[in-house]
Amino acid sequence: MVHALKEIHRTLVPEGILIDLRPMAASWAVELTSGTFQWEVGRLTDDPQAPVYDQAANKTFQEAARRGWFVRESKASFSFFYYWDTPEEMEEYIREEWSDFIQQDEALYAATQFAWANTSGVDRRLRVRVKMHLARWRKR
Amino acid sequence: MTVQKDPEGTEIRHLAGSSVFEDQNLLEIGCGEGRLTWRVAPLSGRLTGIDPQADALRVAAAECPAELRETVKFVRASALDLPFPHETFDIAILSWSF
Repeated sequence: MVHALKEIHRTLVPEGILIDLRPMAASWAVELTSGTFQWEVGRLTDDPQAPVYDQAANKTFQEAARRGWFVRESKASFSFFYYWDTPEEMEEYIREEWSDFIQQDEALYAATQFAWANTSGVDRRLRVRVKMHLARWRKR
Repeated sequence: MTVQKDPEGTEIRHLAGSSVFEDQNLLEIGCGEGRLTWRVAPLSGRLTGIDPQADALRVAAAECPAELRETVKFVRASALDLPFPHETFDIAILSWSF
């Protein structure tokens, strides 16, 4: 992927900005929310390869910096939430969309169902708290 | 299957706080179906979204809000071979792509 950063460098104006925005493997929390309250039901299990991909991306940027293409100006992280109205919808989404980087955890799904069944509130929802990485790089 | 992504707008708040987008020419790499595109484009001058997935780009083009049709365009392309001249963009966003 170093070549991709070289291509981006080529198409940026002098002093142009490259923003690196991506989710990071971090055993994302499954949370139940109701009104202003939220509590953690459990955590998703990262596929063993997921942190490897993150490290590879980080190394790619380090290499681009080493080659003098970009210099990092800032780095931050924040939470990005996915919401579902029912445990079934959440489970279906995770099985269908995240199977490449999240291991299926039947105990977590069961715990989520249990927590859902024992929570009242018409506005209750489930959410996954995704850790996001945001870095700004400037073209040199 | 109904999923709601970032209804709080946390992502665009952090993005907007990271750089000044006003009047800038943006390249969004990995725009997919345009989820982030629709939030970033109103902050910028022009935006080009690229993605290698033709199906996703079709959805993005079809769902492009009318007020953004003059300033947003989509191109099927990979970051490995960007079909643009040197020094075209002020800002590039690698959007969930690595």
